[in-house]
Amino acid sequence: MAPSAATADSSPPPSTSGTTENHLQPVFVLHKAASRKYGRKSTGTTKTKRRIDLSSSIPKNFEKTDSESTEDFDDDPYVNLRMEAFEIVWTKIESTIKDVLWNINTNVFNEIGHWVRESFNTIKSFGMLTSHEATQAFPIMKDVSSKQLFTGLVLTKNMEFVDDLLTFEELGHFLKSQGCHVANLSSLDFMAKSGIGGCLRSLLRQFVGASSDAIDMSIMASWYRGQGNYNNPVVVIVNDIERCSGSILSNFILMLSEWVLKVPVILIMGVATTLDAPKSILPSNVLQCLSSYKFTLGTPAERMDAVVDAVFVKQCSGFIISHKVAVFMSNYFVRQDGTLTSFVRALKVACVQHFSMEPLSFLIRGFSLEEDGQVLHDGLLSKMILKHAFNLPSYERNKIEEQSVERFAIGLSRLKRLKNQWGTMVSCLYEAAKGDKIQLLDLLREALDPTSCNSTTSNSHIKLEKDIGASSSKDCQQYPMLRRGGFICQAVRKVKDLPASQLWKLLKRWEGLTMNVNEMHEKIKELLSLLKLENGKSSKQHMVDISKFLVLTTMLWKIGMKDLKFELEMGKRNPQRNHARRNASQSQFNIEDSKVVNVKAAALMECMVWDYMQPIECLPFHEIICFKNVEKLQLALIGDPRRRIQVDLLEFYKILRCSCCSRIGDTLSPSMHDTSIMYNLAQEHGDYINLHDWYNSFKSTVLCPINKGKNKSKQSPIPKKRKEMNEPKKQSEASIQYPLLYIIFFNVLDLLT
Amino acid sequence: MAKDKEEVTQVNRRATRLSLSTANSTNDIEAAKSFNSQTLTLDNLVFGREPIGLDDLLSCFPGRRVQILEILHLLGTIKSSMPPMFIYGSASTGKTSIILQVFHHLRRPFVYISCLSCYSPRILFESILNQLLFHKKDAVNGYSSVKKCEKPSDFVNFIREALINVIDSLKENSKKMSSSKLKGQVNGRMIYLIFDNFDLVREWDKSSSILPLLFGLCDILKIPEVGFIFISNSSPDTYYSNTGYMEPILVYFPEYTEDDLRQIFMRNQANQKLYSSFLDVVLRPFCRVSRRLDELSTAFSTLFKKYCEPLSDLGVAPNEDMKRRLFSHIQPHIAHSLNEIFSVASQPSVESEANQETRKKGSAKKSVGSGDFDEIDFHMSTSAKYLLISAFLASRNPATLDASLFDSTGGSNSRKRKRNCNLLIKYFLLRVSEKSVERREAEEQELFMKGPGTFSLERLLAIFQCITSVGEDSFGEEGGADGVTVEGESNGLMSDVLLQLSSLCNVNFIVKGGSCPLEGSTRYRSTVSEDLALKVARSLKFPLSKYLFRR
Repeated sequence: MAPSAATADSSPPPSTSGTTENHLQPVFVLHKAASRKYGRKSTGTTKTKRRIDLSSSIPKNFEKTDSESTEDFDDDPYVNLRMEAFEIVWTKIESTIKDVLWNINTNVFNEIGHWVRESFNTIKSFGMLTSHEATQAFPIMKDVSSKQLFTGLVLTKNMEFVDDLLTFEELGHFLKSQGCHVANLSSLDFMAKSGIGGCLRSLLRQFVGASSDAIDMSIMASWYRGQGNYNNPVVVIVNDIERCSGSILSNFILMLSEWVLKVPVILIMGVATTLDAPKSILPSNVLQCLSSYKFTLGTPAERMDAVVDAVFVKQCSGFIISHKVAVFMSNYFVRQDGTLTSFVRALKVACVQHFSMEPLSFLIRGFSLEEDGQVLHDGLLSKMILKHAFNLPSYERNKIEEQSVERFAIGLSRLKRLKNQWGTMVSCLYEAAKGDKIQLLDLLREALDPTSCNSTTSNSHIKLEKDIGASSSKDCQQYPMLRRGGFICQAVRKVKDLPASQLWKLLKRWEGLTMNVNEMHEKIKELLSLLKLENGKSSKQHMVDISKFLVLTTMLWKIGMKDLKFELEMGKRNPQRNHARRNASQSQFNIEDSKVVNVKAAALMECMVWDYMQPIECLPFHEIICFKNVEKLQLALIGDPRRRIQVDLLEFYKILRCSCCSRIGDTLSPSMHDTSIMYNLAQEHGDYINLHDWYNSFKSTVLCPINKGKNKSKQSPIPKKRKEMNEPKKQSEASIQYPLLYIIFFNVLDLLT
Repeated sequence: MAKDKEEVTQVNRRATRLSLSTANSTNDIEAAKSFNSQTLTLDNLVFGREPIGLDDLLSCFPGRRVQILEILHLLGTIKSSMPPMFIYGSASTGKTSIILQVFHHLRRPFVYISCLSCYSPRILFESILNQLLFHKKDAVNGYSSVKKCEKPSDFVNFIREALINVIDSLKENSKKMSSSKLKGQVNGRMIYLIFDNFDLVREWDKSSSILPLLFGLCDILKIPEVGFIFISNSSPDTYYSNTGYMEPILVYFPEYTEDDLRQIFMRNQANQKLYSSFLDVVLRPFCRVSRRLDELSTAFSTLFKKYCEPLSDLGVAPNEDMKRRLFSHIQPHIAHSLNEIFSVASQPSVESEANQETRKKGSAKKSVGSGDFDEIDFHMSTSAKYLLISAFLASRNPATLDASLFDSTGGSNSRKRKRNCNLLIKYFLLRVSEKSVERREAEEQELFMKGPGTFSLERLLAIFQCITSVGEDSFGEEGGADGVTVEGESNGLMSDVLLQLSSLCNVNFIVKGGSCPLEGSTRYRSTVSEDLALKVARSLKFPLSKYLFRR
């Protein structure tokens, strides 16, 4: 890189006298750079315009383009910090996701492993073979059922297959660790055009390693005999049978079943849709050979919940997305793609954008650490950063005058504490909502909604209390987050109707979850003891308990108790009825009692929601950890790449930002890039261009040296003549001068393929 | 060099271990050839170790006495040559096992080639040569064949050479045997080539040249000591082999009769009486459906388990009362498994407890993004669902009806939709009055025979756009309720519709048909059952039945 950079610095004109640089280099079009002092606020485009500067800083910039980072200010010492923080945060998120997925699959994997062992034992029970028998061509004549091929059908529960590639890979690793010989085949190995030889070749390459050109099962048999002890099954995993060519797959199965006694193959096949799929693909005589078992992987929704839980709700990295982004991502998941892979990709894009756009984002690092504000105390915080921090809209909104490092640190630690608290509460809500077909992502979407909490300040407490005091009914409609019959409201309603035993379980789970939030923990304990009391003690005593409890409960409980109080009052006023009630059977009382606790639990939930769950976007300094720019994300994910490219080609000056082209506008100029010129000409001509073909031909022209062009037309720097291209080694120079164009260029090819 | 030696010693060690078990004279003859032949000898061309008598052979295969005797007769004595033999009969009638056991009984050397495992001419050739030259693929020789042989002409030369060698050693072997009076392993001077699953050769690319070659190999080689046996599922008429070669002698294996099957199934049963009572119940109904031994045996093995379920002691001899009880227990399962033979052979027979539990848990946890998981048990994105429905509609409805079903604007409001329905009803009425019942029936039948119709991509996309704009209503609530206007909400579904199309093609819901000869563009066809389409529509709350055109 360095020497080429040097030549780039000297910026040689195309026609120097050197023999090697004798030929034309049309890509070297020099643009006058516009003024170098761009505003720091511009985000997306600054990076690009930087890169075409012919200054010494170019190589550095260019290197960074690879690591998908974008920077706002070059001289910012925090850029590196941010990069580092991104690395840390993303690796953490990634490993968390991996662990979560592994945990989800682990049950099924164990089951499959167990089944593989069992099937292998069944195969072995047909008798041991001598080494001669095992490698001979003729079949072993045993029972008719000995030709059965044990087949595990793994239902992946998702039409799209991307997520399960990883799952099957992991399954392979898992089975390998159990001592099986494993080969992973995909539908690409079962293409009709490569024939049965194709999948056998791939199979043998994975098992035997060496691949001769004439491949048959006898090689497998001889390899298996060569493995010494015959106590390990051979597992062949076929990722996606829907995509396989039926005839090849059925031939493969027949062949395996013919050899199954010699090579104890156990087949595992991924089924994306329903169990009808193998039936529709394979003929009946092949199905006959399969002795199949069904396994079911977690649904995409389940996995999604687990991932969301681990990444956003539990304390993972500190990074979080805003309500809008969450809405966008969940819509994208449900409507467009439905794969976890794309969700994770969206998450990564969000993460990258956040770290590239938010100057203070490096502070997230401290979030995952135990100690608060460690970074702050390093003395790294410059005045500028501090100023930026106090200029954040979330802080300005709260109008706290004092602006000091301490204040900032306190704010940060508060943010951290509240976020954790928020997470705890969300998982509590999720626990409650679990059985009710509510997805965590939907719950999260609601929990993140900032409109539910317009005036959350440090004194929100009091304000809310006032509100509560004013409101007489405890209808869900009253509380912003509980309105609209949303998911949280559903969960609350559900808790009200929960039978005692389940309520007990739920409270127990809550107790475990709220370890960190003391007050809540206490309250839950109280509820638990109450529930216990109810089960044991007489009703009369219990009534006393309740009244005691009522006295003890804080203001916050009022709403929850309103009904109860009312009832009690009614009871006092109406002694007859009360009496009758007391005389009622014990069981009825129990029902009533548990109802009481239910109401309390629901009240507790509401308390959770509006007191402990301040949406992240309402907290000061939340910009540091929260990614909000949904447009950017949308553009990155479902932006129309082809249209984008075409627009860029036509409006290249917006990207190049050179002073010479911007004035020209529509007319062609020699300083334009080749591709732009070509595209313009094609437009004038009225041609429709297949961008992909077009760029491919461009690529081939760029990458293939055409020698006859060398001696021709030294002087004409007309970039249109693309035939005379520079040699490949020159490409690196060109790519330094026009890194953007090259990156676009090669990325475009990726996008289009 | 040193490595070579090492290998040789290794092989030697293996050979000595082996020769303990196969102490014989031929070892010495072959020893000089190559180190590979030390491990493989003429003995290896013989099936089975212990000799088997004729009576055993006949009792092994109930109902196959005639065929076995015929084959034995055709094979003749040790010295007599034989014309090619062609054994045929439907699947699972005992052809391969009987031939192998006959050779086991006769102790004659043979080369076995399954045209299933040897899936191309080259593999076939090399497999034959490997066996004749006593070559074994292993790690030492890099799993390579003894000779590279792709052309039929090479093959003929190689095989002639190899066969002459083998026959020479066979002669020597039999001389030695007669002189030393030692009862050796290998018997006779003939060597046989057995081609199993021969019908598969017809499907090879080069079958037109390979079939005459293999049928005529006997004439080409002109070695009387080589016998050819072809085993096939289909009758010889299907090979159009009348090209002047020697007609093979045919041996036909008919399907087993019910009595044969009973005898076969009664072999090796621990509790004869119990199993016999079981067969009384199941054999007759099953025989009406299929007489294939493999199909029956898989069906019976699971059924027998069911049958024995009420019994605590499996050794018990059932009396009449118990038989009746067991019958009533098994009866519901029989009907089910009778159907299964045809359609669902791959239904999971056993499901572990844990699996069921996770499934229950899964279904309980199945959550609702759009309320779909109850109906369809796999995940599809919403746009894929709409696309599936539009493909289904495009395949089911005649293209002429599209204009009346869908407005050009997409019929986004309910009023328009109502108008559409009215149009549809009018259309129906018109048709009913117009056409007689018989004609409609004939048409129905024709439609059934034709299956789902094909459609072009443009039509699919048009329908897709129409029905998504209708569907947006139910959709908007969800999106709008969040108070967020994600840009391009309405055409958000359109954005990667081609990607969705390709994934639908991948899971075989939509099949890419051949291109239309007139237009030249690719045609598609939806293969989704109406059941599934309705399920999908229900999950979207899309009124599919309104749009379906029924005759």
